[in-house]
Formats: sequence, structure tokens, C-alpha cells
Amino acid sequence: MSDFERELESELHRVLDPMSSLPIPPRRAAHPRASARTLLGGAGAALTFKILTGVAAAAAAVTVVGAATTGSLDPTVWGQQVEEQVQTCKNDLAQGEHGIGQCVSSFANQHGQAVASSARHHGDGSSKSKDNNGNTNNGNGNNGGGASGNANGHPKDRSTRSPGPPASRGS
Amino acid sequence: MQSSEEAAASSPAKTEQAYQPGSEADFERLYRNTYRRILGTLITLVRDRTTAEDCAQETFERAYKNWKSWQPDAPVEAWLHRIAINVAISDRRHQRIRQAGELVRRLGRPAPGADPSLVAERSDLVAALKKLPPKQAAALVLRHYHGYSNREIAAALGVPEQTVASRLGAARKQLQAVLGRP
Repeated sequence: MSDFERELESELHRVLDPMSSLPIPPRRAAHPRASARTLLGGAGAALTFKILTGVAAAAAAVTVVGAATTGSLDPTVWGQQVEEQVQTCKNDLAQGEHGIGQCVSSFANQHGQAVASSARHHGDGSSKSKDNNGNTNNGNGNNGGGASGNANGHPKDRSTRSPGPPASRGS
Repeated sequence: MQSSEEAAASSPAKTEQAYQPGSEADFERLYRNTYRRILGTLITLVRDRTTAEDCAQETFERAYKNWKSWQPDAPVEAWLHRIAINVAISDRRHQRIRQAGELVRRLGRPAPGADPSLVAERSDLVAALKKLPPKQAAALVLRHYHGYSNREIAAALGVPEQTVASRLGAARKQLQAVLGRP
């Protein structure tokens, strides 16, 4: 061993040996919050915020439109009312007559002003279609298509569409 | 200079009990047994004690994450040193960025009191070691302070054993140059 190596060892022990008297701090825990940080920080935060806002807005829209249409905040009540109306419309049909859309539509239109008003608060005209679909589907899944078509505000198209060819719509 | 018996007694590979990979209690024991030595090595590699302590904690965090996959056939402290050296290398990469902010942070602070680690920080030798490439400085500390064999240093540095001897020679030469020794 050279003189320099001896000096090196001696100096290292002189400066590092006092370290052995230092207290050992508690071990730092690993970061279990890494996934939460990913979700709540940076781009994740923006995405999470947008998703939560969208879900909240959709829930609010469904609640407002449902309550405006049926007069109740309880979705169960909405379903019962629409279901009853669909059944009433079926009973009112003459033997062999098809289509209850007009009948259900008239029920939905009883609250048309309220629906249109709430839809305007939540966006453009397309949201009106979604809102009405939501209400009708709550009431009767089997007849949802017909009911929603009328509730969209196109009762005339609905009555003339099935018998005529596509070209007749333009005339 | 250490005698051969002292070196054997201080050699971690010869004194430590067996560690069970994945065992929480064993990792805690490992932490208590090796923290000071890891810190001692890091103090010669990074700029100050605070950074060395932070790097030591980072070292044990990384080690803990891989504790289950640690192979008992490798010397555990060499494994820890390998992680520590990598942490120190990462820290050096970021050191320049932090230097400006650190200077501002330290302005106006009262003079530090007596602290064992400050002896290390003020040492010309430690200052010279910090100017060496981290793996060269680590090789010198592992050899001349911790008493590691070339094989253990090779495990710690992740290089072939033959490389260690040449790296130690180059490190000594460079250290002499930095210190202005013939």
C-alpha cells in the first residue's frame, strides 16, 4: 500500500467515522400516493375534473327534465306516470289500429314548455331530444322508440313516414 | 490504517446475519445496520449532508421496492451501495439546476454549529472526491473506508471484477491530481 493510500484511508476515517455517532432517522416510507397523485395532479386532474363535471351535469339534466315533465323529483314516479299513460293509450286504440306515438306525445307535450325551457338551460335543441328519450325510456322500454319520436316534436313526420316512400317526404 | 482483523470485523458481508428477501423486519434491520455506512458513502459523492440524507432515504425507498426480488447470493450492502451510487449519479445530474436556488436559500442563514458531518463537508479530501466521477469516488470509498474486496466493489458498481482494479488505479491518480499531490 502506498503512502497516498494510507493517507487516503486515514483521512476517510477521520472525516467519516464521526458519522457513526449520528442518530439513525426513521425510514422514510415509500410513496403510496403515487396513483392518487396521477389521478389528482397534472393532466389527470383536468381529465378527472371534466369527467366529474360531465357526470354531474348529465345527472342534473336528467333530474330537471324528469321533474319538469312529471312534476316529481322521484324517477320512480316518472316511470310510473309514463307507463300508465302508455297503457292508457294502448287501451284507447281501436281494434287493429297501430301506433300509440301520437297519444304518448300528447302526454309529453303537456309539459312541453317546461321541457323546452329546461333544455334551453342545458344546451341546444339536440339536448331536448335526449331529454325526451330519457323520460320515455324510463316509462316503457318497449315503446320507447315511438314515444321518443313524437316527443322530439315531430308528430307529423311520424304519422306520414311509414306508409309513404322516402321520396314522398320531400314533397 | 485498518488491520486485517479490523477490516474483517467491519466488513458488512462477514458480520451481517442472513436477510430474508421480502421480510419487513429484516428490511428494518438492514436499514438500521447499514444506514450510517450508506450515508457515509453518499456524503463523499453528493454536495452536502442534507442531500446525502435525502439520497440515503431515496436509496432505501428504491431498495424496499425491490426487496422481494433481492437475491440473497449477492452481498446485500453491495446491492444497497449500487442503488446509492445510482441515486448519487442522478442527484449530480440535477445538481447544477438546483445550485442557483440553493444559493438563494442559504443566504442569510446563521453559521452552522458543530456537526460531525460538517467535518466531512469541510474536508479537502471529500471535496476532491466529489470532483471525481461518482463511480470512481465510490470505488475509493468502498475500498479504503468500508474495506470492500474488489469482488464486492464489482457487485456494488455493477462492473466486472477486472474493471474494479483499473478503475481504482485511475481514481487514485485523478484524486492525486485534484489534490495537487505528486
